[in-house]
Amino acid sequence: MTGAAAIGAPEMVLVRYGELALKGKNRGAFEQALVRNIEAATRLIAPVRVERRRGRMAVFGERRVSDVARRLQDVFGIKSLSPAWGCAVAPEAIAELAARVLADALADFPPEGPITFRVASSRAEKRFPLSSMELDRFIAERVLPDHPRLKVRLERPELSLGIDVRPERAYVFVRRLPGPGGLPVSTLGRGMCLLSGGIDSPVAAWLAMKRGCRVAFVSFHSPPYIGERSRKKIRDLVGILARYQPTSRLYVAPFTEVQTTIRDRAPQPYRTVLYRRMMQRIATRLARREKCGALITGESLGQVASQTLENLTCIEAATDLPVLRPLVTFDKEEAIDLARRIGTFEVSTRPEPDCCTVFMPEHPVLRGNLAACEEAEAALEVEVLVDRAVRASEKLEIASDV
Amino acid sequence: MQTIDLDQAATTALDPQVREAMEPWLGARAGNPSSRHRRGVAAADAVDRARAQVARAVGARTEDVVFTSGGTEADNLAVLGLARARATRGRELVIGPTEHAAVRAAAEALESEGFTVSHARTDTAGALDLDHLGGLLGEKTVLVAQMLVSNEFGSVYPTAPLARLVHARAPSAAVHVDAVQALGKLELSIGELGADSLALSAHKVHGPQGVGALVLAPDTRLRPLVFGGGQQGGRRPGTENVAGVVGFGRAVELAEALRAETWEQLTQLRARFSAGLARLDGARLLELGAQTMPGICTVLFAGVPAEVRLHHLDERGVAVSVGSACQANDADLSPSAAAVGLDADASRRMLRFSFSRHTTTDEIDHALAALEAVGEELGSLGG
Repeated sequence: MTGAAAIGAPEMVLVRYGELALKGKNRGAFEQALVRNIEAATRLIAPVRVERRRGRMAVFGERRVSDVARRLQDVFGIKSLSPAWGCAVAPEAIAELAARVLADALADFPPEGPITFRVASSRAEKRFPLSSMELDRFIAERVLPDHPRLKVRLERPELSLGIDVRPERAYVFVRRLPGPGGLPVSTLGRGMCLLSGGIDSPVAAWLAMKRGCRVAFVSFHSPPYIGERSRKKIRDLVGILARYQPTSRLYVAPFTEVQTTIRDRAPQPYRTVLYRRMMQRIATRLARREKCGALITGESLGQVASQTLENLTCIEAATDLPVLRPLVTFDKEEAIDLARRIGTFEVSTRPEPDCCTVFMPEHPVLRGNLAACEEAEAALEVEVLVDRAVRASEKLEIASDV
Repeated sequence: MQTIDLDQAATTALDPQVREAMEPWLGARAGNPSSRHRRGVAAADAVDRARAQVARAVGARTEDVVFTSGGTEADNLAVLGLARARATRGRELVIGPTEHAAVRAAAEALESEGFTVSHARTDTAGALDLDHLGGLLGEKTVLVAQMLVSNEFGSVYPTAPLARLVHARAPSAAVHVDAVQALGKLELSIGELGADSLALSAHKVHGPQGVGALVLAPDTRLRPLVFGGGQQGGRRPGTENVAGVVGFGRAVELAEALRAETWEQLTQLRARFSAGLARLDGARLLELGAQTMPGICTVLFAGVPAEVRLHHLDERGVAVSVGSACQANDADLSPSAAAVGLDADASRRMLRFSFSRHTTTDEIDHALAALEAVGEELGSLGG
């Protein structure tokens, strides 16, 4: 029963980060951000120590190292990772450990048929008696006789047994788990995401995080037309997104006065576009407070009436910040697939009303024009409304639950 | 007369901090988590916080925790729910050698739906026999249930190698792990254990009775047992037991924070108890398998049936159990006892002494003194 070879819990997690290494002189800052984000992500699981090694990191956990490894699969900037087991820096000890780690990994394969295989050693400890190639051969000769199914192939093997010889300890690993890729959150500035409670805006926030943005959130709330469960839905969405960045700040901006004023004084077909222009203004003010260099929205071209090119132009004209629309060319199905992967889909599809559904126009304008928007707004005291909403916004800090 | 409760595997007293956490939800803050007003949303938030506390203790995601009415319902939901969700792929189940009645009876109930149930076994040393198990697995196997810590013997059964074997040999099978007696004692990680589901109970870790959870691996398909208003994603509808789950969450958090010291304390209590037993005639502490959870001590006595000795101890203020309290009325030989190689006579003379973090060395000493006195009393009767 080779599959039963007990190896216990892994000792550390070897982390590989692809794109970071390409970033030239920013590399140090990128690596520091990644270390901070790794520490923050594992905070609730176990204290960890992160060692930086040329192009890789070793994450040592006081306990629950397997859980740490799974958690790191949510940390942007990580390309792949491997749970690793440690032993003394001696060829015999390494061979013995390699045999156990290999037997354990083989349990994942169907019970019959050939498996292509190689050993890949690297050696930071130059006093070690064998060169990397010699160690590869030594280990292969020791493990292959017990596993006739393994066929050596150096190019793209199904199973690669990694060995990392350090001065203080040697590490052995086989499994390679995918990371989410991207860049460490906080390395590319900050963005303010307008969060609606639908499927798209959380996905947009997540994609901005993936490219290194730290994301703050603003959500618009219209009590008493909209109830507490809608607010909870937003808090829960931000909570799930907080799994992907250290903590999340959420502003809940009151929007009732803006909506009733537009309802009473502006042409009905323009209501939705005008709501959105007001949201952009309020978000822009909050973005400045949070030192955010961009707004982030879940808008996708043509998805709903307000999202025609003309309407997007009218809406964007209300802010002087760049508007990032990561989903602009997405089909709905693509956004849904990502929402499932991120974990927001179940929350996004809770049937709660949001402020966009209040006082909906019967026939919203499809191709709005900016002059008409500005003319309608002349009757609204825009700055006063924006100012009041910003001042009355509630600020919440929301941490990850995992 | 104050009772010395050495039946802590049956239940434990509510921790005062747990009671404190529960109280507002029984009174001033009581609300239905499905209500749309603020009071209801506050209750829903409380349930979600408890869910996160339970999830963290077992390395799971918050959304994968399904609260139940206790360990039995969690085991039932796993066995019936996981098997039925996979019935199109096969109808074969394998259950561990010493499973709790909640697993065993649920598996037997599935026989009327065309499922067949095989039983895994232990080797002569009391450890899981994985070679034998490998032979029971196949394409049609849809569920393997294996407890982590035996409620009757305290044996620890490592499920990780078992789960690897199952997932390689039986690709359609889910692995259910009853971790009721392991919570607060062993480091639990659903991923590390290789489990698709994990059954937990609150009242074994100084939480309230009537609350438990089934924790699932991500994206695990499950058929519900009850139907209603769609609470908990439809996996276990019905208004949540808010005070109960809040207490469970706090109890788990405390148990996890105190886990290392609890293990150390239980190890010392067991050593003291074991040394005391060694000085008594005709008492033998059972050690089965490679590792034992030190809080459960199963002792074989020579002489009178265990039931008689239990009542004599009870008269002297020491509460213990014969086998598992959940099947204490079952006059038949425990299938678990048979599975670990005990004959009917031995299993009728077996008592379980179990400890928790509330158990003191004084209590152990008193119990040993009571055992000695009872031994003399029964011995003089020619038992």
